[in-house]
Amino acid sequence: MSTPAAPNAARETPVPRTVDHDERTVPPVIEVSTLTKRYGDVTAVDDVSFSVEQGTILGVLGPNGAGKTTMLKAMLGLLVPSDGTVRVCGIDVHAHPARAYRRLGATLEGARNVYWRLTVRENLAFFGGLAGENASDPAVRARHDTLLDQLGLLDRADDVVNELSRGMKQKVALACALARDVDVAFLDEPTLGLDVESSVDLRRELRRLADDRGLTVVLTSHDMSVVEDLCDRVLVVNHGRLVADDDVTSLVELFRTSAVRVVVDGPLSAATERTIQSDYTVESWETDGDRTRVLVALEDANDLPALAARFVADGGRLVSVNTVEPDLTEAFLQLTGGEDR
Amino acid sequence: MRTASTREMVILLREVAQKQYILLRRYPVNTVGGLLAIYVFFALIFFGGRAVAGPAFDDSLDSLIVGYFLVTMAFSAYQDLAGNVMTEAQWGTLEQLYMAPLGFGRVMAAKTVVNVAFSFLWGGATLVLMLVTTGRTLAIDLLTVIPVGIFALASVVGVGFVMAGLALLYKRVNSIFGLLQFGFIGLAAAPVEQAPLLKVLPLAQGSFMLQRAMTGGVRLWEFPLADIGVLVAVGVGYAVVGYAVFSVLTRRARQRGVLGHY
Repeated sequence: MSTPAAPNAARETPVPRTVDHDERTVPPVIEVSTLTKRYGDVTAVDDVSFSVEQGTILGVLGPNGAGKTTMLKAMLGLLVPSDGTVRVCGIDVHAHPARAYRRLGATLEGARNVYWRLTVRENLAFFGGLAGENASDPAVRARHDTLLDQLGLLDRADDVVNELSRGMKQKVALACALARDVDVAFLDEPTLGLDVESSVDLRRELRRLADDRGLTVVLTSHDMSVVEDLCDRVLVVNHGRLVADDDVTSLVELFRTSAVRVVVDGPLSAATERTIQSDYTVESWETDGDRTRVLVALEDANDLPALAARFVADGGRLVSVNTVEPDLTEAFLQLTGGEDR
Repeated sequence: MRTASTREMVILLREVAQKQYILLRRYPVNTVGGLLAIYVFFALIFFGGRAVAGPAFDDSLDSLIVGYFLVTMAFSAYQDLAGNVMTEAQWGTLEQLYMAPLGFGRVMAAKTVVNVAFSFLWGGATLVLMLVTTGRTLAIDLLTVIPVGIFALASVVGVGFVMAGLALLYKRVNSIFGLLQFGFIGLAAAPVEQAPLLKVLPLAQGSFMLQRAMTGGVRLWEFPLADIGVLVAVGVGYAVVGYAVFSVLTRRARQRGVLGHY
């Protein structure tokens, strides 16, 4: 089990997830070692190392321009890295790309990764054909049918993709990536543009594939709820470096503080505000007429009565005091220094 | 690299051909419209030429038909290769092709074979329409026309690969792309008998031999060995060098991170 890195320290020295090789019975499905991609003076991916075990759903988070997609493309061999190696199922992706591609599927542009003028089934046949797979083979046809059924596409299998909704197109792209019974799926923003229902469907399906088939999934997303609900493990990337690598719960716990949201009605003098601001860690201070809303991080929950007393010192009335549960968004903002560009 | 079995390559070829056929069949207006445009352009040249030059025009008509037949195939082979790479990048499917388990090179080879085969279909259909319209007859010995046509088109494929590679790297190459198409017309009409060095240019030797085969009735085995040698060397040479340049430019595009960009 890895140890969560303190955010600031981790930014200086990325901490790869450590795996106890003696305890492991199955080698990692993905092994990334010192992966680096430089464009001139700009380092888009900076010395990234980690490994992923079978059946894991790994989320890659990061602000815009943090290097997530570059990292994914370098892992897939679509980019020539400046340094480092990537192995999928033990195969070096850059030395033997075609062999590695037999074991993985990827959707990098969502619905754009399939041919909109072909039907769903024709797309599956074409992309299977790129691996020399015969779509008329009864076993392959049965596998396609099962996958389409699981993704709710069987009834639309003979429809031209162009006629499908965006969510369905996205599912077609996923179906094409998984149609060959691959071991690993790389998905860049798989839920982008999907309505809530489609997004939930897709998450459920990915979870099922990981649990039942042992599919390993690497996905990037801006949607924290997707990552929080779905991913077993999260990598946070910022400025091309790995700044955190752990499961969602541990990441959230890492930034757990006794934060309270205080709402006060009535007068609150400038002097009181100054002393509260100087004596406590105030994360936000909003005033709307007579009502003031303040978010304060408390180092010790026993400080709460004293804090509450400060707020009513000028004759105001406490409307509510609530503890704030940290979530992945908060952890992400802390890790990336609030860079949610 | 793992060696693909013959069966896998046959399946790949079949799927690539099937996709092309499905798209032609599914959008018949586009398909028929394309053929009609090629035919109408020929009809304009034919009827216009007759109106201006009178019966004298008929003296060069057979050569015009053969030249038009070859240029139609060359346009089709070139556009289907270079233009298709640009389109795939725009559609977002190019990176998927790159990640083909049989290898990107084999996918491109399969696409090329299918493109050339479809070019013959386009050229053949155009040829029939031209012969019906003009009432002329030509010597169409398939054992001669097909091999000469294939090697003539192989040189065009080589140029197509270079353009495809440039498109991957520089994206906007439409102006050169169009210019080269006009160049094919000139190459198909190159006077290789007067200037033998022109034979090393794409299409020129193929055009010369196709003219002699279709208008003079010369069969493949009746050509001097040197002519056949030049045809094969130029065709294979351009195709191999073109593919090598394409591979280098693809790697360069991957280094720059622009493979799937458009």
